[in-house]
Amino acid sequence: MKKDIPLFLGIILIVAVLVNGTHIQSVDEYYLTHIDDITPESKTVTLSIRCDTVLENYGDLDPALKSDGFVPPDGVILPPTEYVLREGDTVFDVLDRAVRYNKIQMEYQGSSESPFGSVYIQGIHWLYEFSCGPLSGWMYRVDGEFPHYGCSRYVLHDGQVIEWVYTCELGQDVGAEWMGGQGK
Amino acid sequence: MRAFAKLHPAVNLVYFLCVLSVCMFVPHPVLEAEALVGGALFCAATGKRGNIKGELLFYIPMFFIAAAVNPLFSHNGVTPLFFLNGNPVTLEALLYGVSMAAALVGALLWCKAYSGVMTSDKHLYLFGRLWPKLSLVLSSALRFIPVFLRQSRRVGRAQKAMGLYSGKSLTDRIKNKGRVLSSMVLWSLENAVEVSAAMRARGYGCGRKRTSFSLFRMRAGDKVWLSLCLALYAAVLAAALTGDLNFSFYPKIGEISLSAAALLGYAAFGALSLLPFAAEIKEAVQWRYCVSKI
Repeated sequence: MKKDIPLFLGIILIVAVLVNGTHIQSVDEYYLTHIDDITPESKTVTLSIRCDTVLENYGDLDPALKSDGFVPPDGVILPPTEYVLREGDTVFDVLDRAVRYNKIQMEYQGSSESPFGSVYIQGIHWLYEFSCGPLSGWMYRVDGEFPHYGCSRYVLHDGQVIEWVYTCELGQDVGAEWMGGQGK
Repeated sequence: MRAFAKLHPAVNLVYFLCVLSVCMFVPHPVLEAEALVGGALFCAATGKRGNIKGELLFYIPMFFIAAAVNPLFSHNGVTPLFFLNGNPVTLEALLYGVSMAAALVGALLWCKAYSGVMTSDKHLYLFGRLWPKLSLVLSSALRFIPVFLRQSRRVGRAQKAMGLYSGKSLTDRIKNKGRVLSSMVLWSLENAVEVSAAMRARGYGCGRKRTSFSLFRMRAGDKVWLSLCLALYAAVLAAALTGDLNFSFYPKIGEISLSAAALLGYAAFGALSLLPFAAEIKEAVQWRYCVSKI
């Protein structure tokens, strides 16, 4: 049995690495997010989440999602709201705080260290990529411009306006110029 | 206890295609449960008694692993249980994983039943005319698996007899398996060359049309089986085409439909997946009855 010691040590090491990399939170803990109070001197940004294009392409929508609970009739998931900007915050940080505070479901993939160098937002409010046709998914624009890179690499400044919009045509229907849209 | 395997090969093949196609392409929890139960009962009725413990030790952990993997990668669903690295682990994803695991294990059990029932002579009989090369390749490939296992056991015993790695520790056993495997890779290459040489020596592929002999005849019972199987399959397909057998887990678990079409589908597929087991039971009862009269 002495020979098995290195094997068991290796297994324990792997398990320890896995456990160390896992961060488990209860539901209440996850949603209990601290949002800083807005004071006159604090820097703020405005965030909104909309899915108007889904209403225009309602026929393509996944039948399981055809309900007002998943797609609001006015297309507004989060109306424009001001949030306090912390030092070095990216678009993803603000979005993460906002959805936690408002208890909106959100799923993302990867981290800043992923091969793409950014987080990818797969779904917000149960609306996922490909939920409404093969070219659908979430995009973001800051001050009316669609950045060319991921949301966790966009560092925000005071007073910027972030809009998360759902597209059904790879960005053309929401006006992403570099994707062939019409501009704003 | 080989009532089902004694049927005409075409009946066996059609039956397996019907069950496996529903099991794989109609993802509905009720149908998956029926396929799982039917497959498990049939495998238990026809399999060797001593093997059952080993099989359970393989299929049950497999079921749980397959069920647990889905919620780790899919975070959709309205009922979060807890949060893992900032992504929700939801009840819906967990149940979807259970359903997929049932489909997976069910399909595996039916494939196991298939390999037990459809022996290589049946394959050759069915496809020998249509695709002679394919059926030959398939039957020799399927035969390779038991031959490989037998040979690897033989190599393992020989190594143990020579006193190599005969210790009881886990490391020794893993090392032993590795040694056996590396010798088996060489052996299987050599075996393939030998088999092809032997087949050439016996005149395979020399251009003459080969004849074959088989004793399969379509009897009245086979025709009843075939028509019953196709009728049940058509009922399941009709139920699936009405859309009542569509079931969605995301974002909210759908309801198990209780419409007439859906009930017909459940009943028809339940009957279809229990047919071979029922045939085995009938055969066993008949046998007991005959024995008791002697």
